Amino acid sequence: MLKLLHTADWQIGKLFGQFTPDVAALLAEARFETIERLAQLATQRGVDLVLVAGDVFDLQGVADRTLYRLFKAMTGFAGPWVVIPGNHDAALAESVWTRALRLKAIPDNVMPCLQPQPVLLESPGVAVLPAPLTQRHTYTDLTEWFAGAETPPGMLRIGLAHGCVQGLLAADIDAANPIAAGRAAQARLDYLALGDWHGARRIDERSWYAGTPETDRFRNNDSGHALLVELAAPGGVPQVEAVATGRYHWHSLEPVLQVPSDLTELVQRLAAFAANDVVNLSVSGRIDLEGHRRLHSAIEQARGTARGVLVDLTGLQLDPSVQDIESLQADGYLGLTIQELRAAQDGPNAALARDALVLLTGLLSDRRAAAARTRP
Amino acid sequence: MKLTRIRIEQFKQFRQALEIDGLAPGLNIFTGPNEAGKSTIAAAIRAAFFERHRSGSVGDLRPWGDSSASPKITLEFQTRKQHYRLTKSFLGSRRCELEAGTLRLDGAEAEDHLASLLRYEHAGKGASKAEHWGIPGLLWIEQGRTQELREAVAYAADHLSAALNESLGEIAGTGGDEVLATIEAQRNELLTPSSGAARGAYAEARRHETALAGQIRTLTERIDVYRHNVDTFASMRQAHASDEAGKPWESLRKRQHEAEESLKAITGMQQALNTDRQRAAELDERLGLLRAQLEAFDNEVQDLTRRREARDAAMQLQASAAEQVRQWQEKNAQALLRDTRARAAARLARQEHARHALNREAREARAKVAELAAMLAKADAQLASRLALQAQAAASEISSQDLERLRRQADRRRELRIQQQAAATRMHFVLAQDCVIHLGEEILSGEGERLLIEPASLALPGLGTLQITPGGMDLAQLEREAARCEEQHAALLRHLAVDSLEAAQERHDQYRQLGADIKSADMTLKALAPQGIDELRARLLKHQARAADIDTALGKLPPAPAMIAGAAPGIISGAISGAPSEAPIPGVEDAEAEEEASRHALEQFAQALNQAQLAAAGAHHVLESAQHELARAQALFEAPQRADRIREVNQQLTDTRAERSALDERIHQRTLAIEQARPQILEQDVDRYRRSAEQQEKQFRERREALLRLEVELQSAGALGLEEHRAELERDHTQALRRVEELQQRAAALDYLLILLREKRSTLTRRLRAPLQKHLDHYLQLLFPQAHVQIDENLSPGMLTHTDGQGTGGGDFESLSFGAREQIGLISRLAYADLLKEAGNPTLIILDDVLVHSDEARLVRMKRILFDAATRHQILLFTCHPERWRDMGVTARDLDMLRRQT
Repeated sequence: MLKLLHTADWQIGKLFGQFTPDVAALLAEARFETIERLAQLATQRGVDLVLVAGDVFDLQGVADRTLYRLFKAMTGFAGPWVVIPGNHDAALAESVWTRALRLKAIPDNVMPCLQPQPVLLESPGVAVLPAPLTQRHTYTDLTEWFAGAETPPGMLRIGLAHGCVQGLLAADIDAANPIAAGRAAQARLDYLALGDWHGARRIDERSWYAGTPETDRFRNNDSGHALLVELAAPGGVPQVEAVATGRYHWHSLEPVLQVPSDLTELVQRLAAFAANDVVNLSVSGRIDLEGHRRLHSAIEQARGTARGVLVDLTGLQLDPSVQDIESLQADGYLGLTIQELRAAQDGPNAALARDALVLLTGLLSDRRAAAARTRP
Repeated sequence: MKLTRIRIEQFKQFRQALEIDGLAPGLNIFTGPNEAGKSTIAAAIRAAFFERHRSGSVGDLRPWGDSSASPKITLEFQTRKQHYRLTKSFLGSRRCELEAGTLRLDGAEAEDHLASLLRYEHAGKGASKAEHWGIPGLLWIEQGRTQELREAVAYAADHLSAALNESLGEIAGTGGDEVLATIEAQRNELLTPSSGAARGAYAEARRHETALAGQIRTLTERIDVYRHNVDTFASMRQAHASDEAGKPWESLRKRQHEAEESLKAITGMQQALNTDRQRAAELDERLGLLRAQLEAFDNEVQDLTRRREARDAAMQLQASAAEQVRQWQEKNAQALLRDTRARAAARLARQEHARHALNREAREARAKVAELAAMLAKADAQLASRLALQAQAAASEISSQDLERLRRQADRRRELRIQQQAAATRMHFVLAQDCVIHLGEEILSGEGERLLIEPASLALPGLGTLQITPGGMDLAQLEREAARCEEQHAALLRHLAVDSLEAAQERHDQYRQLGADIKSADMTLKALAPQGIDELRARLLKHQARAADIDTALGKLPPAPAMIAGAAPGIISGAISGAPSEAPIPGVEDAEAEEEASRHALEQFAQALNQAQLAAAGAHHVLESAQHELARAQALFEAPQRADRIREVNQQLTDTRAERSALDERIHQRTLAIEQARPQILEQDVDRYRRSAEQQEKQFRERREALLRLEVELQSAGALGLEEHRAELERDHTQALRRVEELQQRAAALDYLLILLREKRSTLTRRLRAPLQKHLDHYLQLLFPQAHVQIDENLSPGMLTHTDGQGTGGGDFESLSFGAREQIGLISRLAYADLLKEAGNPTLIILDDVLVHSDEARLVRMKRILFDAATRHQILLFTCHPERWRDMGVTARDLDMLRRQT
């Protein structure tokens, strides 16, 4: 019986510029921590080997400290790590891998497969057929050779590839690095460990994408996992278990505010976010000044608790109520200006008008608050 | 507001109390001369309202020199249908009381109530100043300050605005301007006020973003280069591996060696061919030699024949040359003979010719001698006769001057005689017959006449003597002169040895004739011997000597030949006569021509002879040589072994030809073989394969080195972590860009808001100003029909435009004339008063000596305006020109009168 951990798309070296610097730093740091957790998981579960299906690095030209840092993070599992390069860290003539080898940064139990040659591991009795990318993009199926590869009888045949299984994934996925559907069956593989797709995904009973172990974008679902695979004997159906490994949960919210309760619901949702949540909020609809204040304070609170909150309010229209205006005591030409700005939100300068309105009403309510403080 | 009573005590000029009562609700005019206290009344009203009763700085309110006085003012007035009584005293007894119906206020409370009622402020400390006066400051016009409007309006601005807002019945906004200022300040933190360019944090964010973008660009370029190098490295490495496995240069080397082998075989064949060709050349040379030998034998026979012929020809030539010499010798002898004869004939001809010439000269010389002798004789005779004439002339010489003198003397004498006769006493007498008288010695008878020039005695016979003395001295003088003249004449005649003038004349003529004769004789002599007789004589002697010489020469000549005609026929034809004839001897020229011809002929022949002799000698030499050559050829031809030698040579020729023919065939075969092998192409092949192999090896070596270099390069570049660095920069750039966008959005919103606020404010202000404009226009039309004045932001009058007959004109308030500013200043204040009244504020207008700068026409209009205003407001007008305000429908109060009454 063979037990292995299948993971991929670590994207080490990826940075998160869309967030504030402190958040960006934490998210980048989290990727190393996840690798440490993977090693722990492998050790805890007593796996025979770990398969990493490409894109270990997000970039070829990573700094030396990043290299050392990564391989250090992998030391938690002393068993064999069989790794292939993906499109981000392809095995070029000079690559992050050649550099790591030259620096002797790679531990002995980590086996980067830079050539399409079978890797035979005697003790668990497994032959790994790797399909490393040797170019940034290729349009030939690098797993083609699997079928013709002879492996010692009795050994499990496991394919390791990085690319896009044809005909299954959405059309907007880059068509480069194709992998023929049904490759596992055709090449008599017991299991085909795939990388490139960032969510965990089953292609067929023997072919799986592990997805990235730490979510790195808002789009993909089912990311933040590694696959624990058990193979009883050659020819048997693999038992696959998705184990959650990610720390951060990435949420994308696009609420439309129509009625007051919409805002209440949004405020509650925002309040529910915790320290490991990363949030992208894009609000549209209409809101009065009081509502705007509430929303603003809810967002600020969420920023305090959640790991990162991206906010886009360009779709939101500010619509001060009669009470708003009365409470602002905006008389004279200030009142006229507010009226005009309200109306202008339907015109070509909608965003500008809204920003101006927020500014003006904010200033007025600050003044009112200041006046209220000095009055007694 | 209507003042009804004013009482002033111990106040400045008014040491005594002054009370003014029964003030009219409209216009009140107070008159009085300067220093009468008009302005003091106005000052009292001001002090009552503006100065705190506790103020210590109002000492100037006391009458001058009265330090113990307590200035006191009592005012009664009515406003908002309420009667007020204000009593205020300063300094000595400080007091302030305000009564209004049941309301009684004291001290500061009373003062503050008044301030809010009339809308002004009190000074915090010290005396009240213009900036505290508010509305009253605008309506209570001090002397000479009507035109100074702007400040007063500024100090009243808040009260005015409040009044305007109230009148508009609408709220203009509380603190709107403060918000506007805040927005503007915030906007100007991000954008420059004038151009709207980024500044401050916004500009800084943009700079930061641009700098990051630049760094990313630079880094991207480096990464692109790096990636390109990686690809190059991969392809080079593949090519290197392929070469290392295939070693393509080895097959090239093999083919090079094959070509070299082929070339070597061809080279051997080429050498054999060269040997053959060398042998063929030797044989060709030998054949030539043999043929030449045979030809030499043939030539010997031909030479013998030729030599014989040559000798014969030489002999013939020699004979003909000898004949020529002989002929020329003969001709030469004849020519010599002819030349000798011709020379003799010519000599004789010249001799006779000379003789003939001498004879003729002798004749001529003798004729000349005879001629000259005759001439000499004649000349001698002539000379003798001339000498005789000369002697004769010398004897009879009388000069022309002398003759002239004589003539003049004679003339004078005659002239004197005529004068004597004219002056003389004419005595005419007619005597009787036979009667005589004696005049001096003379006896006179008959009839006659005598001139008496000197005293004379006339004896009358028988009668006595008459002593007659001619009258005058002149006659006597004339007589004396005549006598002197006569003496001189006689003396000259004597000197000239003549006895009369006629004789002198005759002699002079004779002398002249002799002179002419001498001249004639001289002429003749000159013709005969132009250079003198001696020369003539010398010539004669010369010719005589020449004649003698010629005779001597003739004597020396040989005798003339008697008969030489036969020797030279035709030469001296004249000599046939046999005598040395007179005729010239012809033929000298002919004889000399013959002489020349014969000499020439002789020379010619001698030369021809010489040449002929030379030719003969040459011919002889040729002959000798030909004979010699012939002998030699003959000897050669007749030599022994000659036939054997000819046979032997012929045999050798046959053998050599056979060998040469065989060699030709072999050369042909070999040449053909070499051509077919194409050695040049083979050489090119060798070169080509060799170079290709070298090229391949070189390329391989160079690529191996380049690979090493590139590998090192890539390794060091890779160690820089360029892409990670770029990712970091991109992260920072995204953040910077976000900040720029935020600030840009904020700046745009602030800018937009500022513009909008200003626009709204401007609209509202325009609407607020409208009522004031209405009131101002009302008065302005009375002052300047067709004029319009704008009201600016500060509610002050601004641009004035008016249309008159000349068109549209105008200008800013400040640029108007003093008079016009005063007028506009006044009507503006009246307009404010109207506005304030409409808003329910109390209005009181105090005018201290206004409109003194207005002309009559304007004053008339201003009076209409004031009268109109007085229907709505109480106006206190102080003037020192009562006559100007008589037409205002009210009685002016005289201040002096008032003071007396009080």
